[in-house]
Amino acid sequence: MATDWQQVDAAFYDQLRQYYDEEEIVELGTFIGFNIGYHTFFGTLKFYPMFSPDGRLVSQEESARLYGAAPVSLGGRKVA
Amino acid sequence: MPHIIPLDQAQIDDPELHALMARAEELGVPDGVFTGIVARVPSYAKVLLKALLVSHGQGNVDHKLKEVIRIQLARFAGDTYFSALRSKRALAAGLDEATIDEGCNSYEQGTRFSAAEKVALRYADMMYLDANQVDKAFYDEMKQHYTEAQIMELGGFIAFHYGMQVFMRTLNAAPATALATAPAAMMPAGVSPTLKPH
Repeated sequence: MATDWQQVDAAFYDQLRQYYDEEEIVELGTFIGFNIGYHTFFGTLKFYPMFSPDGRLVSQEESARLYGAAPVSLGGRKVA
Repeated sequence: MPHIIPLDQAQIDDPELHALMARAEELGVPDGVFTGIVARVPSYAKVLLKALLVSHGQGNVDHKLKEVIRIQLARFAGDTYFSALRSKRALAAGLDEATIDEGCNSYEQGTRFSAAEKVALRYADMMYLDANQVDKAFYDEMKQHYTEAQIMELGGFIAFHYGMQVFMRTLNAAPATALATAPAAMMPAGVSPTLKPH
């Protein structure tokens, strides 16, 4: 949906229906769309988690060092 | 035929959802196709419709500008469904297709948009074309024209509407009512030949 959406065609939806009902597919589609939209926006705001992986409250500067200054999503992904 | 068949109004029995669908119908965005599809998950449909309606129709950024941005994003996403819809409120306030086209294709060179409107259009344009360009310098430029609250309003609006467009573009869905301008309006435009949105 994010990187090569034209592959999400009728055949793909038929494949999804082997595992999910219509309600679950709508749930997944809107959830994924929401995340594609918002994570890119959030990425531009340069904010980072409040806590380190071991549960410490950390500054935004330390959090950026811990989690990385460039979210992978901003660089785009390639479909395998 | 959409890959997910929209429910008919008669198949929906949640009164709150019906009320939200009526509000959407009144605005014109989204129409009964989107609402009928998401109505398959009523708990989702209610929050999605509320968020779409509030982010598009309320707040302190001009609704006509948001409507141009929404269409710009939909064309950019290649989403024929949302590209073809028009806000009745924005049209009633004077928005026309020439302004929409300029907002989608040539707002930087055009004369129809103010400096503040151009930076908002660029915000949406760059968000999914090259988010790395939406950096501190860009936000500083935005702050010359908008408050922090307005920037969050625009960012949230852009992110949410684009998110629903990337879902709808996969569904092979068309609006419930064809627009007179549909063939041109539904053509995705403005995407750089070398850069692809995600």
